[in-house]
Amino acid sequence: MDAPITNKQSQTHYKPKGNKKPLTVGLSYKKELRERLYALVFLGPSLLILTIFVFFPMLRTLYLSFFLTNSVGKPTVFIGLQNYFSLLTSTAYLHSLQATFIYVIAVSCLTLVLGLLLAQTASQKIRGISFFRTVFSGTMGVSVSVAAIFWLFMFNPSVGLLDQLANLFHLPVINWLTQPGWAMTAVVISTVWMNLGFTFLIFFGALQSVPTTFYEAAQIEGVSKRYQFFHITLPMISPTLFFVSIITLIESFKSFGLIDLMTAGGPDNATNLLVYRIYQDAFLSGNYGLASTESVILALMIAFFTFIQFKVLEKRVNY
Amino acid sequence: MKKIKNFRYRHLLLLFSLCAVILSALTGCTSAKADSRIQITFWHEMTGPAQVQLTKFVKEFNQSQHKYTVVPQFEGNYNEAVQKILNTHGTSASPAVFQSMDISTSQIYSSGYTTPVQKFITADNYDVSKISAVARAFYSKNGQQLSMPFNTSQPVLYYNATLLKKYGITPPPVDPSYSDITRVAQQLYERSGKKVKGLSVEIYGWLFEQFLANAGESLANNQDGHAGTPTAVNFTGTAATTTMKWIQENIKHGSFMNYGSGTSASANEMAGFLSGKLGMFLQSSADISQLTAGMKDQLGITYYPHPDGQKSNGVSIGGASLWISNDKSTTVQRGAWEFIKYLMKSQNQAAWQAATGYLALNKDSQNEPVLQKLYQKTPAAKIPSQQLARTTPNNTNSGIFMQGLIQERTITQTAMEQIYNGKNVTSALQDAEKQMNSYVQTTNKANK
Amino acid sequence: MNKNITGPNFQRLGQLFVLILLALFILIPFLLGFWTSLLPTADISKGSLWSSHISLDNYYTAITQTPIIRYLFNSLVISFFTMAAQLLFCSMSAYAFVFLEFKGRNTLFYVFLATMMLPFEAEVIPNFVTVRNMGLLNHYAVMIIPFLTSAFGTFMLRQSFLQIPGELKEASEIEGLSHWRFYASVVMPYSRISLFTLAAYSFLASWNQYLWPMLTTFSDDFRPVQDGLRQLQSQESFNNWGMIQASAAIVVIPTLIVLFIGQHYFKSGLNEGAVK
Repeated sequence: MDAPITNKQSQTHYKPKGNKKPLTVGLSYKKELRERLYALVFLGPSLLILTIFVFFPMLRTLYLSFFLTNSVGKPTVFIGLQNYFSLLTSTAYLHSLQATFIYVIAVSCLTLVLGLLLAQTASQKIRGISFFRTVFSGTMGVSVSVAAIFWLFMFNPSVGLLDQLANLFHLPVINWLTQPGWAMTAVVISTVWMNLGFTFLIFFGALQSVPTTFYEAAQIEGVSKRYQFFHITLPMISPTLFFVSIITLIESFKSFGLIDLMTAGGPDNATNLLVYRIYQDAFLSGNYGLASTESVILALMIAFFTFIQFKVLEKRVNY
Repeated sequence: MKKIKNFRYRHLLLLFSLCAVILSALTGCTSAKADSRIQITFWHEMTGPAQVQLTKFVKEFNQSQHKYTVVPQFEGNYNEAVQKILNTHGTSASPAVFQSMDISTSQIYSSGYTTPVQKFITADNYDVSKISAVARAFYSKNGQQLSMPFNTSQPVLYYNATLLKKYGITPPPVDPSYSDITRVAQQLYERSGKKVKGLSVEIYGWLFEQFLANAGESLANNQDGHAGTPTAVNFTGTAATTTMKWIQENIKHGSFMNYGSGTSASANEMAGFLSGKLGMFLQSSADISQLTAGMKDQLGITYYPHPDGQKSNGVSIGGASLWISNDKSTTVQRGAWEFIKYLMKSQNQAAWQAATGYLALNKDSQNEPVLQKLYQKTPAAKIPSQQLARTTPNNTNSGIFMQGLIQERTITQTAMEQIYNGKNVTSALQDAEKQMNSYVQTTNKANK
Repeated sequence: MNKNITGPNFQRLGQLFVLILLALFILIPFLLGFWTSLLPTADISKGSLWSSHISLDNYYTAITQTPIIRYLFNSLVISFFTMAAQLLFCSMSAYAFVFLEFKGRNTLFYVFLATMMLPFEAEVIPNFVTVRNMGLLNHYAVMIIPFLTSAFGTFMLRQSFLQIPGELKEASEIEGLSHWRFYASVVMPYSRISLFTLAAYSFLASWNQYLWPMLTTFSDDFRPVQDGLRQLQSQESFNNWGMIQASAAIVVIPTLIVLFIGQHYFKSGLNEGAVK
């Protein structure tokens, strides 16, 4: 969701400006104290909120992951790493992990490829293209529950459009949301659809920013369109490409709403992604210790990808 | 130049504060309700016509007296509600009276968050003998009534009588065996040119539990928890295996329709049945009113099917009961009790059954004109009550008293999903049993 | 540019075909949703989607029989306050990281960065207990207070503040402006494009919240629209598709209008960001 910003980020990362000299002797003790006081006032509110709602809960989650919890959610028996062992040996959990990876990879790839295709197509100068540009960015205004309702209707087994079409053409009717493989497909399609509007806008902006002189030069030399795309366009927009892929990846790891509304993790846990499983174990089954363990694992994975993002962005600035 | 920027900025600030003022004024208006009555927050999980009827009861109750205002709040499905109830206890968000499903009884009781309704029954000398004994027994412990049975249903088999007649198929008997159902399902599928599916059994743990109950098999040891805390479950006995094989046989034949699990599953199932694309399905008696309202064809109802070669043991009740939280003042609790009493009145229970299909629990309700009229119009509507009446309660058909039954449902539903999608019955059930047993052990350890 | 227009005919047809195909994929769920919202549910459940009984009845039902308007209002309140708070607190902390000199500034900045690695979804269990103990359950505050600030917003504004010419700061020091004055009358107006982006971002993020409100709200008085739609959908055991689609349309139409009007500005903002 945050791409336009980071577009900027990638270009301006870590460039201290001239006004920030190191603390000098000329700075009086009194002034230093005052600056500190200001820092406290300016940073205080944010620090307080982050401490209460980010740092403390992470530690608390880690703590809870070493316990069994009773029926009202209080930690009762310390069991060390047993929650971790039982999760990593549970077929159901491994199944969830696998499903999450499949989902994340499918969603990210499709979002990137289709988003790029949309942006590339919409960059052509054809009459009426602005209509298509408006259409392509349309799903940006769609929130998760609206998307779920639209697609639930498309996939509905008795009245949905897809099966009515299948009937019309005498194709086999697919039970979209009740067969494991198809349910995953359905959820992936809906997520990609929802992602496309935003991805399109970002890519479109990036494509517009590639200087036209490059293409003109290529055309004079008679280079093919495909060559232009792979050797001019892609390298030029690679920071955006990287940024969008990481964001899509992280966002899909955290998917919850569509799953909850469309499949509730089913059938046969085929779409029981990590966050949904946390919700299920904690807020349906009341198994808070286990759910905390799952949270820690999720946090580790997301931290890993965010870390990579930081690293690569930092490098990019240095080129 | 700086001046211009300042100017714009001030404008922005002005706009912002204006918005803030308007918004806060609006919130102030909507949340300020002048009412001297005592507010009774009531959490429920009723949907569709049951919700409509319940809201009507609430309105009538609020008009019938001036002391209390009951505020109904829908809290999602049964599963969601349990943790919400436990999690909000002791905060201002918690309900004064709440509806919680059958299988959560043991968990709610052991949380210690409720006042047993027995306290009010005794104080008021309330005549409970009018209320169905089977239902009362389900929600009591050591002769003490923990909660008041409210929406009580029986699982039954529905069939489209008109459709069967059209294809010249003999309807299933009132107390059908699995092979009776198979016959009808397959005949219907074939004679309709594969246009009409014969049978659907929603992937729903409750139905799985009922298959075991009707075959007289315990799902958990210690006699389904009636003789002590269960330490192991039984998903792999003859009853479960036979039933799942029976369903798989119908799936292979093609006459079975799998609507999946969850809220939309039952809605799609009903839509399929009403549009004549499905001939038979197993579901709660609570669907009767929706079925009779939405169906042009004649509706048929039978008892819950049982395995071949044995008599049916009878099924247990389903549904939910009403509990009073103990984190509210005595006046509020008293108000909650008054509301419960109101719901249990003979004419209200009759109206409840007529509107929903949940059974009227007050014995006097059967003579109320609403019910008399219903039975005249749809004789099949009597079947669920008859099924309940002919059942002799024993330990295998009186519910399961154990914590973690929500997990049990999740696990059995997963097994059903696997089986419906072609997995070997025995191995699916064994996996499920293993999973549940380890869950039971951990739960027992954590709650010691 | 000219090549595209004067290229062979079949190529242009091919392009048009791809365009239309992609547009259909995006449009069909919308169009079908809006279309069915105009049909009586009875027709929808019979599967006759090409019915001619078109009316706004479903919209009337949704508005009068369901709290959909209240849900929208709740979301508006929550998103507005979250947005305002993030603009204030993120800009304040970003200011501290750029214009204040104090010991441990860099360490603290890395601490802020680190929070971006911790997903809120993995912390809901302790956070739920925290807000319960604070007595915030089932109130607007529960959906605003945990999101009063964001590390991401701070990070982004810091980048933007770093672009402010050093001369401005020096001039302000000569003039004897206090930090507050400098913050309010120079830094904030100077970075208004970034502030606008953060406003849009935080508003949308709050508007799209789903899991957290689902766990912490228990009545229609406070439930935001995402969970409200979930509520409507799960209450309709009879699949009142017409009414549900109408509610979805009521939610999505305002956002679409805002999007289409704002698109021009948004796009130029984007390009500005990309070109820099």
